[in-house]
Amino acid sequence: MASSSYSNSPCAACKFLRRKCMPDCIFAPYFPPEEPQKFANVHKIFGASNVSKLLNEVQPHQREDAVNSLAYEAEARIKDPVYGCVGAISVLQRQVIRLQKELDATNADLIRYTCNEMTTLQDGRRIGEASSTFSQSPTAYYYPSPWNNDPCAGDAAFHRGGGNHM
Amino acid sequence: MTLKGGTTQACAACKFQRRKCTPECLLAPYFPADQPKVFLNVHKLFGVSNIVKILKDVDPSQKKNAMESIIVQASYRDKYPVRGCVEEICRLQNQIWLHEEELHAVYQQLEMCRQHQQQQHQGIHHVVPDDLASQLEVGMAPRAANNALPLFNHAPQPQQQQQQVYNTSVAALPVSQQHSYSNSNSVDYNSLYIESKENNNNGTNPLWVPYANNNGSPIAMQSQMVTSQALSMHQEAAGDYDEMHPFFETIDDRQSYIYSKEAYESSSEESLKDSRKCTEHVAENELKSAAACFSLTSVN
Repeated sequence: MASSSYSNSPCAACKFLRRKCMPDCIFAPYFPPEEPQKFANVHKIFGASNVSKLLNEVQPHQREDAVNSLAYEAEARIKDPVYGCVGAISVLQRQVIRLQKELDATNADLIRYTCNEMTTLQDGRRIGEASSTFSQSPTAYYYPSPWNNDPCAGDAAFHRGGGNHM
Repeated sequence: MTLKGGTTQACAACKFQRRKCTPECLLAPYFPADQPKVFLNVHKLFGVSNIVKILKDVDPSQKKNAMESIIVQASYRDKYPVRGCVEEICRLQNQIWLHEEELHAVYQQLEMCRQHQQQQHQGIHHVVPDDLASQLEVGMAPRAANNALPLFNHAPQPQQQQQQVYNTSVAALPVSQQHSYSNSNSVDYNSLYIESKENNNNGTNPLWVPYANNNGSPIAMQSQMVTSQALSMHQEAAGDYDEMHPFFETIDDRQSYIYSKEAYESSSEESLKDSRKCTEHVAENELKSAAACFSLTSVN
């Protein structure tokens, strides 16, 4: 294949497709010739024309992310033809559910514990008041969690739940 | 386009391609005529020929699962045009990290409360004047002990779970940079690969490892129940995606631990860069706190 007069070697896509790599080749910035497998995977799963259409539909500054995500999905699909990268999503979702349940249970434990502590404190104070010499400084056994639903509590950066990060 | 006689409607795939939908149509079972959007998404990402190629490469028993995963993958690409499934993976990883941080904080609080209670008991015996000791013991100590015991019977278990969770996070911190797809300004795709707990490799394991048995060969998926909460993404979409709800029940939940902080970085999200700095700082503190918790625990 004749190389371009610009003395730049063709990108991995044009090498794979055996065509001339033009200066405005949409694949060239994202499929360097040193990574032939990257394009080979993407082409095998999605096809060059689909990738080209996808890249044309996103902003130029987003194309690198788009290509890398396609490369990741293609590799995942090649290694696991049945589930691809969707298997990872399923595993993560289960983990989120599991963690949420654990969190709920642990918060319930904390609330139960602090309620018991408050009850104990009140009983102790009643005994102390009866003796009139007993004094014990009130101690806050319940530490407000930064993770409360109370918008006034905690660091705003640690709000629960992931949002759409588009 | 209907069949001759007009008894059966063409599937969405054949409708789109404007061809006759035969009874032997490979795609008809997966793309009903009333859900054109589903096929459009799949066609846009994969194309018909690639779908057929994928279907031919899998076992007949897995064709349904494969097609459903293709549909889900295409739907994520429709929802997130730039990063597709990777966006969802990053979002879930961040959610997991947030939950783990919250769990850590709650465990710390529990530990502090427990220590405070013990200090209080010791303080009562040592600080309070002797003439009050008997009254306090009668009024407080037995009740406090009775109240505390049911709570802390399972205390070692949360510690083990916490250790398990933080072993995950600690093990996930060093991320290999050998993979050529990573870019300092975009998502670290190394960290998207899920690492099996049983795997002792250096951390560059592909996501399919969790589905392997101890010999490393892939095994068949087993059915498991999943709540509808796991499919919140699909609940947001139109009714076209309702058929995917049972899909996740067929995926086995193997032991998998996620890189919980490295993956969450994007060139187009400044706030995420800030959160990354927060995560690095928090992760370091998290390790110290976890170590502190364990050392304090060992004293008791």
